[in-house]
Amino acid sequence: MPLLDQDPIDPEVAATLDAIDATLAGEPVDARYADVAEIALLLASDKPQVPPAFAHSLDQKVERRFATVASERPRRRRLGSGFWQAAGGLATGLALLAAIVVVANGWHGASSASSSAASEAATTASSGSSRSPAASGAPASPGSAHAPGANASKSSAAVPPTTYGAASSSSGSVATPPPLQPPTTGRKVVQGAQLNLNASASRIDAVAQEVYNVIGQENGIVESSSVTQGGPGGYASFQLSVPSGSLGQTMTLLSTLNYAQVASRTDSSQDITGQVGGAGRALADARALRTSLLKQLAAATTADQVASLKAQIRDAEASIDSDQATLNKLNHQVNYSQVSVQINAHTVPAPASHNGGGFTLGRAARDAGHVLTVVAGVALIALAALTPIALVVALVWWVGSTLKRRRREQALDSV
Amino acid sequence: MTAPARDTSWERFESLYRSSRDDVYAYVATLLRDPAAAEDVTALAFERAYRRRRTFDRRRGEERAWLFGIARNAALDELRRRRRVAALVTDPEDMAREDADDAEVALRRTAVQNALAKLPAREREIVALKFHAGMSNAELARVLGVSESNAGTLLYRTMEKLRKACNATA
Repeated sequence: MPLLDQDPIDPEVAATLDAIDATLAGEPVDARYADVAEIALLLASDKPQVPPAFAHSLDQKVERRFATVASERPRRRRLGSGFWQAAGGLATGLALLAAIVVVANGWHGASSASSSAASEAATTASSGSSRSPAASGAPASPGSAHAPGANASKSSAAVPPTTYGAASSSSGSVATPPPLQPPTTGRKVVQGAQLNLNASASRIDAVAQEVYNVIGQENGIVESSSVTQGGPGGYASFQLSVPSGSLGQTMTLLSTLNYAQVASRTDSSQDITGQVGGAGRALADARALRTSLLKQLAAATTADQVASLKAQIRDAEASIDSDQATLNKLNHQVNYSQVSVQINAHTVPAPASHNGGGFTLGRAARDAGHVLTVVAGVALIALAALTPIALVVALVWWVGSTLKRRRREQALDSV
Repeated sequence: MTAPARDTSWERFESLYRSSRDDVYAYVATLLRDPAAAEDVTALAFERAYRRRRTFDRRRGEERAWLFGIARNAALDELRRRRRVAALVTDPEDMAREDADDAEVALRRTAVQNALAKLPAREREIVALKFHAGMSNAELARVLGVSESNAGTLLYRTMEKLRKACNATA
């Protein structure tokens, strides 16, 4: 594009140029421009003529549309265009790859978060203080405190029927959750659990019998039970006492009954080491006091002293009995875990199939939205990656073009 | 049934070639002062123009100026290549024109040729574009990438140099 004329041309220059143009057009010019006109005519008549052989050759090339020429000198041209095409393709490929990696990392990060939650739950479960079906895919509650002296509780709800359901249990192919074992090394820990089961109304009785069987098998105690059957609903509840050593096994068995599904399960633990120690020390003190009083009684000389010491000994023995009872109760709590089982009549829902469900317009629209979102994300990331590359390429191209133009002009000046 | 699409870009190129072949060669030959190189550069320029014929944008100028821009770049590339290889070798014998001019005209023609040969390449290029390629001042400006008044001024100065050189010879 020619530059805009900023300055008006000099009149003498304009007149000379007009004279040249007039001369070349075969028009007469003023005598003042005779010299310029003559030179112009001589220059025009001295125009180099195209050699006929070259003209013929070039005509043929043009007629063939430079087909032969293209095959004769493909290397440099193809190198140039091929290089830029390859560079562009490479840049685009790298950008897309980067986008895919970013997107994949995002997804991986999301799945890692899920995995972390799962692994956290698994780790928690392996620590033995509590467990949740989260390890089987259900959401995990915040981490439970399993440190000595602290209460620990972890609940789960809406456990997938396929995990604990009757169908899966009857097939016998689904792994049961591992039993919970809080860290009890050297500690006195009271454990407990609550299990809510769903069963069909007609199976309440059978499920109750299964509970009895499990408790008998594990040497537990049914402290209380209530079974209601008939009508549209049904209900059963059990208050069980199970040896703590077999609590995990018991809960595993109760969670995999043939005709029941786990609706929720709560495991709890409480460290009472301090209480047991306190009760033990109180008992020892009471016994020491009684021993001391007995010695004083043996040395007593007056009736009043004897009566007073006997009264103190009775108090000490009462204290011993009380402390002993407390200690026995605490030890019983440690040795036997309380398990509460409730069975509700419930319509068994159809197992939710992850991949099934059939085709619906809503699902298709949702899937399409997800696909478009991912595609848009990939495109956006690719654009973000390509933009600086394009800027660099444009800068390199501009610098290269400027240098090339300058070198060409320098070549013209150097001749 | 529709007729096959006509390659209008080819037709335009062919028309441009027919109308500009001699002018392009003359311009390149004057600039390079080497007939053999002028043939190569002319052929290369038309080949490049053919390859790029679809990229021509009429809003950026006329096809003729576009073609001479391509030829100019090819010629300057040739000059650069020669500068790297060896000094420019002129071949005035090949460029000599055999005609039947009378003695006075022959003398004047020789004087103009000598003066032209002594011009720098940049000014020789202006002469070639104006008198051998037959360009208007506006087209000349487009090819050189300068304003039209600037191109006119350059042409005027070049003509003044030639005139003074010819008068000095006489």
